[in-house]
Amino acid sequence: MSPELTESDIRTIREGIRGKYAQVAATGTGCCFQYPTGREGMVLQGYPGEVLEKIPADILAAFCGVGNPFSLGTIHPGEAVLDIGCGAGVDSLVAAHLVGPAGRVIGVDVTVEMIAKARSNLERLDLPQVSFQIGEAESLPFPDHDFHVIISNGVLNLTLNKKKVLAEAYRVLKPGGRFMVADQVLVAALPPELAGKAENWFQ
Amino acid sequence: MPGKDFLALMLKAGFHRASLKSYTGFKSSPYTEGALFYGEKPVDPEMRKDIEAQAEHLAEPTKVECAPGSS
Repeated sequence: MSPELTESDIRTIREGIRGKYAQVAATGTGCCFQYPTGREGMVLQGYPGEVLEKIPADILAAFCGVGNPFSLGTIHPGEAVLDIGCGAGVDSLVAAHLVGPAGRVIGVDVTVEMIAKARSNLERLDLPQVSFQIGEAESLPFPDHDFHVIISNGVLNLTLNKKKVLAEAYRVLKPGGRFMVADQVLVAALPPELAGKAENWFQ
Repeated sequence: MPGKDFLALMLKAGFHRASLKSYTGFKSSPYTEGALFYGEKPVDPEMRKDIEAQAEHLAEPTKVECAPGSS
């Protein structure tokens, strides 16, 4: 964890992240993102059209990822995939179509409202290979060597202890397993008036 | 966190073939942009020490201005 963060900062960040994504779950992505979201964002990032056609439009509307983790490699039928920070579960549903009925996809997220939305979405689809559960990236509730692939999209930048997150991802991957992640990174220095502010974590 | 720093953490965690493949063009602020990271867990656990040593010699892909989704 960053040594510059106080206990108050950590509380502010955790509450801010949960609050923002609870709002997204309740009202949709329109409230909170400066880049294209929903189906438009997925098309711009090159998600396969044949998979998008299989997912209802109102479910795709919840997509707020920053890239396309599936562009990083092939996911094979029968594989086990973990989606860290799954949100409303759109990427998990894409993965479900790639692994097929012989595969397994688990989405984890810290936001109760997002998991509820993901489960509600899943109830409308015939994808028994998918499940969603509450879980933290810093403490994944899975045994060692459990997954062929880990995906994540715009989430790991929100975590407070990235070293621990990566150690957990490494632990739960099978030997030879792939880590395929889209995430926000700093590409320019923050101005002094913004640097160090806890609120930056969930803008 | 800059992409190069995240990549260094991936290598320190033991990921093999770790790389920042490209930027996505999706910006959540004037200071942040989406990026794609790839890595593999080595089949041979003995490879881990060599991989951690690579963290000292990192290169980031050239930054190219582009519209979201453009190739």
